[in-house]
Amino acid sequence: MTNPDLVITLATPFFVLTVILEIVLARFGKLKADYETADTAVSLTMGLVSSLAGLLTAGASFAAAIWIYQHRIFTIPMTAVWAWVLVFFAEDLTYYWFHRLSHERRLWWAAHVNHHSSQHYNLSTALRQTWTGGIAGTWALWLPLSLLGFPPVMVLIEKNVSLVYQYWIHTEAIRRLPRPIEAVFNTPSHHRVHHARNPRYLDRNYAGILIIWDRLFGTFQPELDEEAPRYGLVHNLGTFNIVRVAFHEWIGIAQDIARSPRHILGWLFGAPGWTPDGSRDTSAKLKAEWAARQGAPPAAREAV
Amino acid sequence: MNSAALIQFAISAVAVAAMVGLAAWATQGRPAPPLDEATARRWLADEFPGRTLDGLWLAADGKGCVARSGDRALVLTRMGLGYAARQVPWRQAAAASFRDGRLSIAFGDVAAPRAVLAMTAWPPKELAA
Repeated sequence: MTNPDLVITLATPFFVLTVILEIVLARFGKLKADYETADTAVSLTMGLVSSLAGLLTAGASFAAAIWIYQHRIFTIPMTAVWAWVLVFFAEDLTYYWFHRLSHERRLWWAAHVNHHSSQHYNLSTALRQTWTGGIAGTWALWLPLSLLGFPPVMVLIEKNVSLVYQYWIHTEAIRRLPRPIEAVFNTPSHHRVHHARNPRYLDRNYAGILIIWDRLFGTFQPELDEEAPRYGLVHNLGTFNIVRVAFHEWIGIAQDIARSPRHILGWLFGAPGWTPDGSRDTSAKLKAEWAARQGAPPAAREAV
Repeated sequence: MNSAALIQFAISAVAVAAMVGLAAWATQGRPAPPLDEATARRWLADEFPGRTLDGLWLAADGKGCVARSGDRALVLTRMGLGYAARQVPWRQAAAASFRDGRLSIAFGDVAAPRAVLAMTAWPPKELAA
């Protein structure tokens, strides 16, 4: 198999069937899933258009990988099992850092934010994909794999395997899997935490397939029975307009730069919510305020 | 884009339309319940923790509310089953456009341009200052 897109092509009918199944079973109360029409329409249309938007930069990013591969350090054969095992771990580690960067730096958050903009968590949310990921240039993070000697096609196949894996974890229908699986793999439970806007859960569980990276780099947070995830953004969107969903953070960056150009580096590379005067909410600020409230007397906590 | 990819895209578009239609059918007859005071207070507590409310006004159709907290107006609008929350200076909210029972508060935020709420009267006389 040398067509890397075959993974996605083969998975697409599975995506459609399982979304249909989740909607119908939820309708008859057989499983937990909240669907609503406008939200589903936005999620699925985002996914449909993202497949077109990806084509705009796919050629350039693949050409860059080919060029890098021509200057590779080692030659890793696509036919060796050990090479596939190696690329699985290497790609998954790369994904972890890509994903972390996409949450912790505003330039890349602008491309990723739409995936988190639904207030629901169901299989259609998985398909709420970016239109601007290629422009944001995060594909460059995978280039070192080609420099090491992994053929670009091999890397792309592995990226698509990861994408398909991450589809099924966008569901509330599966509570928790057996402990050994939860310990090693990214699961619906771990990924619900990732999509939650509760301060405790912000910027946690960046994993693609293996949750071990979060455990290793200190970003792991288990889902707690006493704190149900609330999904969406810290400041939820007040619109279902798909153009606003796709571009609002980019427009926000442009507005901030126009307002205060001398802080351009902060606007682009600061944490989402960064301002020169600290007047907006960053994840770190929200977490600190939440932690302070946990230590506050109960009366203060019940102020509202 | 070759013809095979075009056909694949067209089939995907039809599948998307079918899934959205199915979601519409599945949620038919289950509209979001109108916002009541207890829910509004709970959501405001989630969004603006630690804030004390001086007053709370629910939209007549239950699709949102405005609360006053000191010199700030805390605004909730229903987004389907969920909601969006923003805050603006109270003076701005009190002076917001109110015509034909519709209060329109602009947020200056591309992600949530404005809240349009059905109100019986605006601004509330007791807290308009």
